[in-house]
Amino acid sequence: MTVPALGAGPVRRRSSVFVATAFAAAAATSLIGSMLAMWLDFRAKAPLRASADGAKMIKDWLKADVAVPEVASNTMMITFVAVCIMAQWAVYSARRADRSHTILALSITAAIGLALVNAQIALYLQMGLALRNDAYETLFYAVTGTMLALIASGVVYSFVALFRVWAGRSSDHDVLAAHALYWYALSGMFLAVWFVVYVQK
Amino acid sequence: MTVVDASSVSRPVADDSSAVGRVAAWFTVADHARLGRLYLATVGVWLLLVALLGALLGLERMDSTAALVDADAHVQMFGLYHYALVMGVAAPLFLGIAFLVVPSLLNASTASFVRLAAFGYWMWTAGSAVVVAAMIANGGPGGGDATGVELYLLGLGIAIVGVLCSAVSLAATVLTRRNGATLDGSSVFVFSVLVSTTGLVLTMPVALGTVIYLWVDFANARVAFGGTGLMSTWVAWLFDQPHTLLFVAPALGVLGHLGAVAARVRQPLRGGVLVGIGLSAVVVVSSVTQRSHPFAVGDSPVDTVGSLVPYALFHLLPLLAPLIVVALALLALKAGSPRLVAPFVPAFLGVGMILTGLVGTAVQMIDSTNLQGTVFGEGALVYVVYGGALGAFGAVAYWSTAIWRRVLPAGAVLGVSLLGFVAVVLAALPHYVAGFLDQPAAKASGYDDAGLRGLLNGLSALGHLAMALALLGGVVVVLRANSRGAVTSTNPYDTAEVTQ
Repeated sequence: MTVPALGAGPVRRRSSVFVATAFAAAAATSLIGSMLAMWLDFRAKAPLRASADGAKMIKDWLKADVAVPEVASNTMMITFVAVCIMAQWAVYSARRADRSHTILALSITAAIGLALVNAQIALYLQMGLALRNDAYETLFYAVTGTMLALIASGVVYSFVALFRVWAGRSSDHDVLAAHALYWYALSGMFLAVWFVVYVQK
Repeated sequence: MTVVDASSVSRPVADDSSAVGRVAAWFTVADHARLGRLYLATVGVWLLLVALLGALLGLERMDSTAALVDADAHVQMFGLYHYALVMGVAAPLFLGIAFLVVPSLLNASTASFVRLAAFGYWMWTAGSAVVVAAMIANGGPGGGDATGVELYLLGLGIAIVGVLCSAVSLAATVLTRRNGATLDGSSVFVFSVLVSTTGLVLTMPVALGTVIYLWVDFANARVAFGGTGLMSTWVAWLFDQPHTLLFVAPALGVLGHLGAVAARVRQPLRGGVLVGIGLSAVVVVSSVTQRSHPFAVGDSPVDTVGSLVPYALFHLLPLLAPLIVVALALLALKAGSPRLVAPFVPAFLGVGMILTGLVGTAVQMIDSTNLQGTVFGEGALVYVVYGGALGAFGAVAYWSTAIWRRVLPAGAVLGVSLLGFVAVVLAALPHYVAGFLDQPAAKASGYDDAGLRGLLNGLSALGHLAMALALLGGVVVVLRANSRGAVTSTNPYDTAEVTQ
């Protein structure tokens, strides 16, 4: 008996949103990576000076009276873990057609994103660093300001994803997966910023 | 089976039934073909500006004591000339052609994220306009007006973001809208667009990061980056070889595609062509170091090797890209039954010019030639950018049936191509010779113009004027074909035996 073969189904196209978000994340990583590379270059080339007790020679990079608030920066780093979990929870809920939990997860993601923006501003206020004296100040505000702008773009992405789900497009799993990917990428970038700028200084 | 998602075809937001609506439709463009035409038209304006500016600077440099324009404006003129060559012409040139051609080569109804791409176009246009305004206001690198300098950085940053947005749209199009076809089975041009745009996605943010640093420093402390005097050195890699190869890499794809068409044979060693084009992506690493890598013989063999390795990576390896593509195009001609395909001529000549520019840069970077800081580098840049423009004309001529549903007359295409070729050689070669005569770069006054130098600068000016003429000739050919040519969607150059 001859069984006619079934015709091929329509080709499943890879998600444009996911791929474009991956490119955007790559671009953002390249941006932050290049800025951190220049930071490291400037720090390596900073002249030497005697330490406060005169016991050793240290890089004249971060002035002795500048204190980097480590609690705020560490809290931001830990918060990024939470934001990734929430973004992934949104993907998980959407795949199970659980609209209310998807909305809740995206709302929390956006709220945590706003909290990150708030924490960065609080960190600026705590430091009270001027922007007129040396290379450290210029590079500090440029790197962290750019990171702040990228976090803000993540918050906007969360609100857009939330709005889409709220408006009924809860079956767009690719958008939520792309949204989660962007937050993962932002977390990776902040990890690098946190280590270079706030830990190594 | 080819699946075309007709529901995703984007249309302009504005209703174009009235005159106001037609204008608004261009501003709210959400159609990839219209966007491509916008890109090409704007690049044409920039190319004309470059040619006229190049001619003016050539005439100005014929006599270093006489000044056609105020000597104080020379800094801005050179700054604008470099910006126009790279960010005005080279960067958006193949973005425009790709928006016109790539979706149809992929059997896709439209490009991905056309609105993002259109946003990118307007960002690039607005940023470039801000750069021009800044230059006029005594800004730009080396400018004397603080507001003008900040305006220049703002414009450059906006233009970079614009190019980035369009590149993301195109890269996503190639990766997600192939409708089941493999990348290997797609046109070589499509692959070259993917290589170019992916590279731009990685290098443009590096330039943006530098611009952010420069702006924060200039607007505040001015202690880290050396103010306006050193500004151009921080972003020099963006406007110089080998990075410019990334902008014009699709010209290699045009030649790779047309080589097989002209030879009427399936491209022999097709994988080699893909490898050749892919090699142009190595220039991405030039953005990583953000500095030039000259080769100098050191005191010890270790020093010499230490200088040779980065030099070879940044200046010799990229040379292989056009070299391999040219060699395999010639191999195709040898293996097949070649015929005269008019668009092949500008594509071949264009890639040849790009190769000449890259060879020039490799020679310039050998320390013992003492060519750094001379006008030699300008010659190499002109070779690459004008060569890219020739390659782009080849693409427009070949795919004219897909773009306008008209065939460009072969004789006219050949005429414009040969004029363009003469223009490139005349505009760039004298700079190579003048470089060996130690004519300084980016200076139009206060240097020794004795001997051949005056004549060489005059020849270069003539070359730029010839390029302006070639551009206008190309525009006339396209307009005449559109107004008088028969409507057809059949490409007369495609034959059954060629499978791209």
